[in-house]
Amino acid sequence: MLPPGSGLGVYTVQCPKVIRLLRKGCTNRPFYHIVVAHTRAHQSRPVIEQVGSFDPLPNQYNEKLVAFNFERIRFWIGNGADVSTPVKQLLGLAGFYPVHPTSYIRAWRAREKLEKEKAAAEAAIAESQATDIDKSENVS
Amino acid sequence: MFQLIKSFSALKLSSNTIAKYCTYNLSYNPALLPVKKTHRKPRWVPVAKSKVFRIPKKPKLPEDEANEIRRLFNNYKNNVRSIRKYLYKKHCTIFEISSDPQEILKEFKEDLVKCHEINDKWNAEVKINREARLQKELDEELVLAEKKIEEQMLREEEMYAFTEELVRKQKEASISFITPENIDAIIDKALAEETDYNFAIYPNGEKIIGKKTRPTQETEKVVGAQ
Repeated sequence: MLPPGSGLGVYTVQCPKVIRLLRKGCTNRPFYHIVVAHTRAHQSRPVIEQVGSFDPLPNQYNEKLVAFNFERIRFWIGNGADVSTPVKQLLGLAGFYPVHPTSYIRAWRAREKLEKEKAAAEAAIAESQATDIDKSENVS
Repeated sequence: MFQLIKSFSALKLSSNTIAKYCTYNLSYNPALLPVKKTHRKPRWVPVAKSKVFRIPKKPKLPEDEANEIRRLFNNYKNNVRSIRKYLYKKHCTIFEISSDPQEILKEFKEDLVKCHEINDKWNAEVKINREARLQKELDEELVLAEKKIEEQMLREEEMYAFTEELVRKQKEASISFITPENIDAIIDKALAEETDYNFAIYPNGEKIIGKKTRPTQETEKVVGAQ
């Protein structure tokens, strides 16, 4: 039997809550539920509530799908629930939170890498062209 | 946990099976949840011998990049803090509940009035149903009572007829009764007409009068002598 979205976790007033990813899916096929759970509760414990889902593998249109129940997320954050970093990143990309610094860092590092590769490729092409010219001069 | 598993052992189920099927039992019982599995080695297992003296390299960032990251994180933290405070003020349930006793009493009274309204409504509905039911029951009882009265009348009539018949028969029979008026005459008659019952009878009704009895007629005497 699948658990209902409202979750079966026992809500305890004193325990700190967190909005985090909960890995579902199976081997080699990750799928995440975005859930509200007790901070110290184990992954296998029932959650208090499911507030969204996230599919990290790109689909046929090269999209990573994510769903949020913003109403409930607002409610839970308003009632003191913490948000884990991966969920913060997702919320930043969704426009709910400011964009997370790690997203920026990853982006500029990827850009740098890309630029380096591009420069290297260009240099290689230039070098090969230079060698070609040298060869042709030698031949003539 | 131990006691619960013990109680299940009567069904010959292993603890794993119970954990498997009781994961999302609606009557949620924390003792019947699945085992907490780790994807790392347990805490009590020590660091591997080859890794004991390994010192992980700290990433060295250029100063401007580190400053930029610090600035981004500070901004982010400030923004998130302000968002959280806003949401806290807007959605926190602590602010929804008033601690003013007068207000609580007022809410309670309003709630009570609402409850009374609902209760009155229900009572009215139930009253209609109840009255209909009672009327129906009364009608049924009346019909039953009439039926019973009819049966009683019939029985009484039968009884009266039976007694009448009895009385008539007794009256008919009473003609031959001995009464103080005719007792002397009957005694005289009995004495005059002496009857002798000392005889036997054949199946065909023939009387056999014995030797020792007083013979009254010759024929009878002859028959009995053989």
